[in-house]
Amino acid sequence: MSRALEDVLFGDLTHKAQAITRVVSVGVAAALLALIAAIVYRFQDAGQFAGRLWEFFAWETTWVFLGKGLLGTLASAAAAAVIALVLGLVLLVGRLSRLRIARWPAVAVIEFLRGVPTLLLIYVCFLVLPSVGIKLSAYWMLTLPVGLSTAAVVAEVYRAGVLAVPRGQTDAARALGLSKAQVFASIVFPQAFRYIVPALVAQLVIVVKDTTFGYVVTYGELMQNAKVLIANYRSLVPVYLVVAVLYCLVNYAISRASHRLGRPVY
Amino acid sequence: MGSVSPLLAEYGPAFVQALLLTWKLTALSFVSGFALGIVITVARLLPLRPLRFVLTLYVEVFRNIPSVALLIFIVFALPDLNVVIDYEPSVILTLCLVCSAFTADYLRTGINTVDGGQIDAARSLGMQPMTIITSVVLPQALRSVVQPMTSLLIALMLSTALASQVPLPGKELTALVAKIANDSAAGIAAFAVAAAMYLASGLIIAWAGATLDRKVRILR
Amino acid sequence: MSISSVLKATVLAFTVAAGASVHAQGAPINAAAFDALVAQGPVADAATIASNKWASKIKQADTLRLGATQTSNLFSMLNEKDGKIRGFDAGLAQMLTRYILGDGSKYKFTQVTSSTREQVLINDQVDMVLATYSITPARAEKISFAGPYYSSQAGVLVKSNNKAIQSYNDLAGKRTATQAGSTGPAILAQFAPKAVVQEFQTHQEALDALRQGRVEAYVTDYTLLLNVLSQGTGEAQLAGAPFGPQDPYGIGLPKGSDGVAFVNAFLKKIQADGTWAKLWTVSIGQRTGSTNVPTPPAIQ
Repeated sequence: MSRALEDVLFGDLTHKAQAITRVVSVGVAAALLALIAAIVYRFQDAGQFAGRLWEFFAWETTWVFLGKGLLGTLASAAAAAVIALVLGLVLLVGRLSRLRIARWPAVAVIEFLRGVPTLLLIYVCFLVLPSVGIKLSAYWMLTLPVGLSTAAVVAEVYRAGVLAVPRGQTDAARALGLSKAQVFASIVFPQAFRYIVPALVAQLVIVVKDTTFGYVVTYGELMQNAKVLIANYRSLVPVYLVVAVLYCLVNYAISRASHRLGRPVY
Repeated sequence: MGSVSPLLAEYGPAFVQALLLTWKLTALSFVSGFALGIVITVARLLPLRPLRFVLTLYVEVFRNIPSVALLIFIVFALPDLNVVIDYEPSVILTLCLVCSAFTADYLRTGINTVDGGQIDAARSLGMQPMTIITSVVLPQALRSVVQPMTSLLIALMLSTALASQVPLPGKELTALVAKIANDSAAGIAAFAVAAAMYLASGLIIAWAGATLDRKVRILR
Repeated sequence: MSISSVLKATVLAFTVAAGASVHAQGAPINAAAFDALVAQGPVADAATIASNKWASKIKQADTLRLGATQTSNLFSMLNEKDGKIRGFDAGLAQMLTRYILGDGSKYKFTQVTSSTREQVLINDQVDMVLATYSITPARAEKISFAGPYYSSQAGVLVKSNNKAIQSYNDLAGKRTATQAGSTGPAILAQFAPKAVVQEFQTHQEALDALRQGRVEAYVTDYTLLLNVLSQGTGEAQLAGAPFGPQDPYGIGLPKGSDGVAFVNAFLKKIQADGTWAKLWTVSIGQRTGSTNVPTPPAIQ
């Protein structure tokens, strides 16, 4: 069992070193408290603790309103995640195929979707597609590009997982007479999936982050509702602060799920 | 795609400018974010609990916050706290903070690949912990994270698209495509050109990263 | 202890500590009067609707898809406490909804900004856009306008202590905000070509930029600036009189739609029976302290 590096580096310190460490710890804690105090002071100085900037947070209607925005965010993120997982699987099968006619388009699509910014794809759905007659709803103009973008990354994550399954298992299964498809579906992929769940969950966090571009296509999600609150109460810092914290909490909760499932894979 | 030629004739220089701006934002953000990430990683190794707690909080916040939300906070909310940062530095600051959090995370995994036995050996030679970190741990950790850092750099380059959301004096690639699509009918051609530029840049970075990785990778 | 209850407790603590005063959005709109005005608006008869394709489509869907804003103080502001949008533009939209569907609340709202207004019509995401939308030839190439239903000019907003800028003539070399996709950039190009222009996505962002000192002036529709002044914080003032060409506001409709004739007929109706004037008084007049009801612009 390997010990944490920090413990090896700084384990069994001499008494003198331990005392120094304690003193420095206290010093650091004091410095951090001073930093927090400075920030609080800055808030106060800029009048950001005024009641009128915060009082509406005590009303339930505010939280319901923000909650609706959050639901919009999650609705788009959920569908985008499903698209990514399913399409990613399709792209993976193509990518791993022996047939060039399946492999080359798969590689091309994956490289293209991975190499282009998601925001650019969103702008294409909003500004360019309609000029060729493809008119999507605001929801799909956000969900589709995010889903496609993530699908390419998910395909690569799947691939990393598949390559991590020991070759011997495939060989043994083939020797037992299982067809390639059966090997993949029953032996390789289920194991690959367990390796890569943390990386997939990390992608889910990215999907949630990408939904903040909803306002570009006029889809109503959390950022947009935040702007309404800002206009209604002229409270800029508190609202943005609260919304930022909300996003962090949601994403942290999602990535927490991955920590339980082992170390992240790149 | 016959509309690409007239598009390039009219917007050619604008595309080059946009590409250069994209590269500039990417480079500045990555260098600063990478350096900051290394500092955070080293600081997290020190046996100072308050520091580790705060830095872990830092990493969690900047890994989980949407970049656009962070940028909007820096550009629109900070001035209310009397901190006014100009637009381009704001974009670089945003990407630097996010990059530093991911760098710190990847580096920590890289550090864990260094065998504890090496540290024991170094300690028994009388090396100080800080020296051990800088001459034994960090070099090996850095060499083992070239691949994820390459992915991070490419992701960072693609993230410069969010500069289109603030009124920068210059336009980077995504903002330029949006403007062309709004003003003219050449949207598809503009998108194709920008996509080609992003892809080409990404391929160059990926190739450079793979070459570097091959050279410095530690085989265990 | 859940996160939200901790937050609520913290906020309440701050509120008590800071001695909260109720924050007024300038003079808030008389909600009861507004709602009553919308509720007694005209309703079209079946024949009028049936003879118009645009209106029939809306009638069939039983919903009017509206592109508008929720954050414009005098024209269209969402009160998130009761979920209702009120203002001059909002009133017109709700009255038109009532005109077609019999109920002013049967609309589906999509938030638009000055840079997405045309696209949502082209994309068929909405049936109409009512959002202080200036009629310009460039826009008329992509979409059709009904109206005009209001008229304004451009104005320059500066901070109260700014003596350097007295009118649009003083904008040379000054950082000036305007809204992306609005008439602002074109007007600045014509009247203050040497101004250093920064384009923002929304009115609120431009205002914040002015307040925070990122820009020294904000040029946009004069009536939107009245919004700001009506909030009465004294932070900003107008520099000079309204200038530039008359800026007619229209209702955006899909290109070539026959809804133009339908909406124009509706506008003429409410102008003739005094409803337009009453709406102006409730949403703009009473809140900016003006008693001179302007005459609505003539509809071609």
